[in-house]
Amino acid sequence: MADIEIEIDGNLVSAKAGEMLIAVTDREGISVPRFCYHKKLSVAANCRMCLVDVEGAPKPQPACSTPINEGMKVHTNNEKVKASQKAVMEFLLINHPLDCPICDQGGECELQDVAMDYGSDVSRFSEGKRVVVDGDIGPLIQTDMTRCIHCTRCVRFGAEIGGIMEMGGTGRGEDLKIEPFLAEGIQSELSGNMIDVCPVGALTSKPFRYELRTWQMNSVSNIARHDLTGSNIVTQTYKGRVKRIVAKDNDSVNETWISDRDRFSYEGLAHENRLLSPQIKVKGEWREVSWDEALEFAMRGLTDKVLNTGEANKLGALASNTATLEEFHLLQKLLREVGSENIDYRLNIKDLENTVTLESNIKLAGLEGVDHVLIIGSNPRLEQPMINHRLRKASLSGASIDVINVMAFDFNYQLNSENIVTPNQIAFMLAEVLKLILQASNAEIPEALSKIEASDTAKQLADRLLDADNSVIILGEHMVNNPQASSIAQLINEIAQQTNSTTLNISATANSMAGDLTEFVPGKKGLDANAMLATGLKAYILLDVYPHFDFHHPAQAIKALSKKDAFVISMNSFKDEAVAQYSDVMLPIASFYETSGSHINIEGKVQSFCASVSAPSDVKPAWKVLKVLADLLQLPGFHFANSMQVTSEISNQGHKQNVSNKKLDIKVKRSVNVIWQKSPYAVDALSRHASALQATKIGQMHSASMNKATAKKLEVAENDNYLGVPVSIRESVANNCVFVNTNKPIRGEL
Amino acid sequence: MISNQAKKQIDVWVAKYPIGRQSSAVMEALKIVQAENENRLSADIIQAVADYLDMPSIAAQEVATFYENYNHKSVGKHTIRICHNISCMLNGADDLVKYLEKKLGVKTGKVTKNGLVNVKKVECLGACVGAPMFQIGEQYYENLTKQKIDEIVDNLK
Amino acid sequence: MNEVCFKNLDKKKCYSLKVYEQSGGYSIWRKILKGELTPEEIIDELKASGLRGRGGAGFPTGLKWSFMPRNASMQKYVVCNSDEGEPGTCKDRDILRYNPHAVIEGMAIGGFVMNASVGYNYIRGEFMEPFKRFEGALKEVYKAGLLGKNIGASGVSFDLHTHLGAGAYICGEETALLESIEGKKGQPRFKPPFPANVGLFGQPTTINNTESFASVPEILSQGGQWFADIGVENSGGCKLFSVTGHVQKPSNFEVPMGIPFKDLLEMAGGIKKGRKLKAVIPGGSSTPVLTAEVAMEMTMDYDGIEKAGSMLGAGSVIVMDDSTCMVATLTRLAHFYYDESCGQCTPCREGTGWLYRVLKRIMDGDGKADDIDLLLGVSDKIMGNTICALGDAAAMPVESFLRNFRPEFEYYIKHGKSMVKG
Ligand SMILES: Cc1cc2nc3c(=O)[nH]c(=O)nc-3n(C[C@H](O)[C@H](O)[C@H](O)COP(=O)(O)O)c2cc1C
Ligand code: SF4
Ligand code: SF4
Ligand code: FES
Ligand code: FES
Repeated sequence: MADIEIEIDGNLVSAKAGEMLIAVTDREGISVPRFCYHKKLSVAANCRMCLVDVEGAPKPQPACSTPINEGMKVHTNNEKVKASQKAVMEFLLINHPLDCPICDQGGECELQDVAMDYGSDVSRFSEGKRVVVDGDIGPLIQTDMTRCIHCTRCVRFGAEIGGIMEMGGTGRGEDLKIEPFLAEGIQSELSGNMIDVCPVGALTSKPFRYELRTWQMNSVSNIARHDLTGSNIVTQTYKGRVKRIVAKDNDSVNETWISDRDRFSYEGLAHENRLLSPQIKVKGEWREVSWDEALEFAMRGLTDKVLNTGEANKLGALASNTATLEEFHLLQKLLREVGSENIDYRLNIKDLENTVTLESNIKLAGLEGVDHVLIIGSNPRLEQPMINHRLRKASLSGASIDVINVMAFDFNYQLNSENIVTPNQIAFMLAEVLKLILQASNAEIPEALSKIEASDTAKQLADRLLDADNSVIILGEHMVNNPQASSIAQLINEIAQQTNSTTLNISATANSMAGDLTEFVPGKKGLDANAMLATGLKAYILLDVYPHFDFHHPAQAIKALSKKDAFVISMNSFKDEAVAQYSDVMLPIASFYETSGSHINIEGKVQSFCASVSAPSDVKPAWKVLKVLADLLQLPGFHFANSMQVTSEISNQGHKQNVSNKKLDIKVKRSVNVIWQKSPYAVDALSRHASALQATKIGQMHSASMNKATAKKLEVAENDNYLGVPVSIRESVANNCVFVNTNKPIRGEL
Repeated sequence: MISNQAKKQIDVWVAKYPIGRQSSAVMEALKIVQAENENRLSADIIQAVADYLDMPSIAAQEVATFYENYNHKSVGKHTIRICHNISCMLNGADDLVKYLEKKLGVKTGKVTKNGLVNVKKVECLGACVGAPMFQIGEQYYENLTKQKIDEIVDNLK
Repeated sequence: MNEVCFKNLDKKKCYSLKVYEQSGGYSIWRKILKGELTPEEIIDELKASGLRGRGGAGFPTGLKWSFMPRNASMQKYVVCNSDEGEPGTCKDRDILRYNPHAVIEGMAIGGFVMNASVGYNYIRGEFMEPFKRFEGALKEVYKAGLLGKNIGASGVSFDLHTHLGAGAYICGEETALLESIEGKKGQPRFKPPFPANVGLFGQPTTINNTESFASVPEILSQGGQWFADIGVENSGGCKLFSVTGHVQKPSNFEVPMGIPFKDLLEMAGGIKKGRKLKAVIPGGSSTPVLTAEVAMEMTMDYDGIEKAGSMLGAGSVIVMDDSTCMVATLTRLAHFYYDESCGQCTPCREGTGWLYRVLKRIMDGDGKADDIDLLLGVSDKIMGNTICALGDAAAMPVESFLRNFRPEFEYYIKHGKSMVKG
């Protein structure tokens, strides 16, 4: 729209026609008080606080809902404005408790800030204040609705950003009450953002409640490492402990929002299950020892077992995907330095030769602008909440979204089609789509596809991709162990090339991009995770591995690691029975927010962070532990004084995942497939130890879903145990498929 | 939760609105199920209506608590909705409220012991030329006098 | 008298299609279906008639209809406001009961003019008798093949539905009404955008009052000038006045605009025996109250009433005799707005309760000397600072009652009892 000029407080300002006045004043740094306006939410214009004087209008106008026009003259600070704003303040305060000193929002309350400007004499109200009874709305958010000023930011957040209306305004007039449907409470995966948008102390963090005032805490920026977004956050700390986490604006990453996982996982830091001191196993007994002793013991173990015997190739390193970029780098460097390439972070994949390698070549913000999306094998809402948020935005601005999944999930946007397909048939379906696309451009049809007769579904999927100008194909976690995984990735890659689509590979999560970039994968002579365990090595260094949750086949892995002659060094931040069983040394390492390092997000953005707090006294950052271990082993090139020096050593050339060139397999098989998906709040040790998160409905997800036919085949009934998980029979699951979504260790055989 | 009969009635309303706008029918749907449920709503019923119309439960709850025609507490078989707004007030509505309370032996807002009647003071019902007036069920009764009230109320079954 | 909306009032079964057609009903609609009338001609005729919106705001109807982007390709809507809830107002109920076809024809004509193929009539939930009448009338017209898609192969389509309210005065406010049709609570929208651009279901929409729509067919039959001539300058035609309160024969009267108030009072049988006129609210509870002296000099048209210091509003004339306690009356009105505020915007949500509580306190005998200033201060802070006009409607009576009858309030505060009732 055209630029026009308006006058604000006597100064000429240029702006776009049709913009709301408040957008202009905000850009110009002119302060206009507001409660209901929020730049990322729709305009409600209900608080009436942002009143400004527009020349020619008899009464002050709300800046948030007054579109500007050429020649407009505005005063934001004259007597008329002040009187109106004061009047609104007076109305807001008549029913608001004036006990800021005991309110949880005290010191960061927008109402308190504005009230200060008007002095304390605003109220002549003496008719008795409204008291609102609070209901329990769930484990994450505490309400104190007597403080609510009915700005409806939280309501709009749910309807517009969360994609599910959770808060609403019930009753009317003075009885208007902001609350969720109490029988349901607040359940969504982004709900904590309502705490951030609430301008007063009506919605606060339940785990944090009443602990401290804001001004007593230190605020340190940090990066959340639970998913592929790397959301920017502020950790608020007090006396060396993280007390609360809030979102930090970064439009190209997480905008203003963070997931509940990012917000509430910090609770795990203070869990009693932390590993707090170095221990060594002597004659089968664990002994707490000093760091010097423990590292000496570790060094000896390595030299005796493999290095001095010239069997460096019998040493392996395995890491969880939450490791920092620097930790990945140092551990792989250590291994390669001593002559081993047995390195891997991909612990949950059954066949590393047959899995979904595919590059991602679209930016997070770019996702908003696509006109078509094809999702394959993902429940992005729970698995990658911020990526899902971008997809929702795309959908709202008109993008069509097709899904090929093994079961129906609860999407918070409209789907063009939701195709529930048996895992064994997904490769075939993609092959159909590819064939149609090749036919459309009169390209040669490869032999492998020649016999295919495409279905109507495939035709619709293909047409969409062909019609779209800017489409993205998304490959999700549920496909990593598909029997035809590599074919699926190949087909997607080919379809993307043919249709000029971008691809987004969200099949691995957390900081796995950093694992790739640092080549924390086997070198040519090295063994991959499965091969290491199958062969049985003589020594292992494990970085924050929790076998029951991290390995594709926990029992097998534990058995392999427990072999008598294997020397296992485990670095963990939490205690774990199985780790204690197979390890010879346990080294306590710093968890999230206790260490400096870097996260690499899906678009390859390297985001470094400092420690927000120091780790408990005898707990050390893993990068330091690795550096000292390397020093003890007298390896060259580990003279790092801090993690930044490590970071700068890593060349960031961007990492490309090459698509496998194995022979295409699209044959439809009939066996039952089990897809094991950790429930959203069980993805890493920190989240698993965050009690409020665990208490939520999402945290409690624990079921093996299958349809009736599959249940019959497997001879199980509703609520029976299958692989240690209760069976849930639903017809929304594809045939011959069991979708296990669990927050507990997997114990059975796969 | 919602009878088939009620669903049929709801569907008539749904058909009036554009496709995908079925939640426009929520106001009538709530009335229809309320009528089947001793003239009151409960959380379960509201949720059932929300599910039937594929809308968030809290949105249905908003509607159910915003409009005056829904009941969330027990009411009598008949609710006498007596207007006490200006034109009716000028014509003696307040006296009639007192008269009704005395006659029935209950205060406004309470239900008679036999569960038959309750009295509710309401705002203008748009029949001011017939003031004072009240509504029972769908029916308006205008130009009320004590005698007329006796006739009407005594005939309630 | 009774020339337009109440034309057939004295006929038997005046609400039937037969009676309506016998008196020339649907002749305009049939002309339209035959292609004998253009939207421009209709708008010109309406403009000439001087018809102003009968819902309260008095916006010229012809002008309003011309604002619709009739050539835009998207779905458009016409909506009739039969929510009638303003205390003292009860004219639309009678139009729906006795002349539903005029509303239907008026809406259909509106649909044609604004190129809107769908209409909704929002009828307040308590109006079950009028609702059934209207539904009955709709059945008749559909059966007669006068509504539907591509009616009689004319190329004109118009479908008309009813939507019932569920008890909320605020749904009479046009944007709250749209929200309500969308199945939401009736919270007014802020403007701009106006409904003509973003209305029902986000589409261009025009909303008119029942009486406005019902007047259209007769205006077009008889000609705009004919209608204009019935009334006076700036207030074309005749209008329904609901005369209620302390009169001998309360009733709805369809009379020419500009009629002197005292004549209207006389038509309603005058003040009750042995009593004297004390005050008049001329346009429904939201309009300022006038003293007897001022009222007796006033003519019943937009300018006449404005000159007297009030507003024509919906034409709801509430008459009070000298037995009326103005403190009690204002308290009742304050309670109404407090009860009916939708609650979304701060000044109205908090202020209406404040006003009511202060008045209630005065009524309870606990008034304080500065309460009158407090009431005036609070109502002034509500005025003009809210999303919709309910805020103003709550504030205006307070201001006018206190201005015109201040001694009564002072007496009540001082003595803890009414000056009138003792
Ligand atoms: C609080 C409030 C209540 C209203 N109630 C009604 C009503 O019951 N009926 C009505 O026709 N207009 C009512 N209006 C006016 C409408 O908003 C709108 O102006 C009118 O329906 C337009 O129709 P008209 O131009 O034909 O008058 C009300 C306005 C306000 C602010
Ligand atoms: S709870 Fe907070 S965000 Fe929600 S309406 Fe109240 S004040 Fe606004
Ligand atoms: S003025 Fe009152 S009724 Fe109107 S929008 Fe505001 S709160 Fe609602
Ligand atoms: S910020 Fe403008 S009205 Fe609330
Ligand atoms: S005032 Fe009682 S019906 Fe209008």
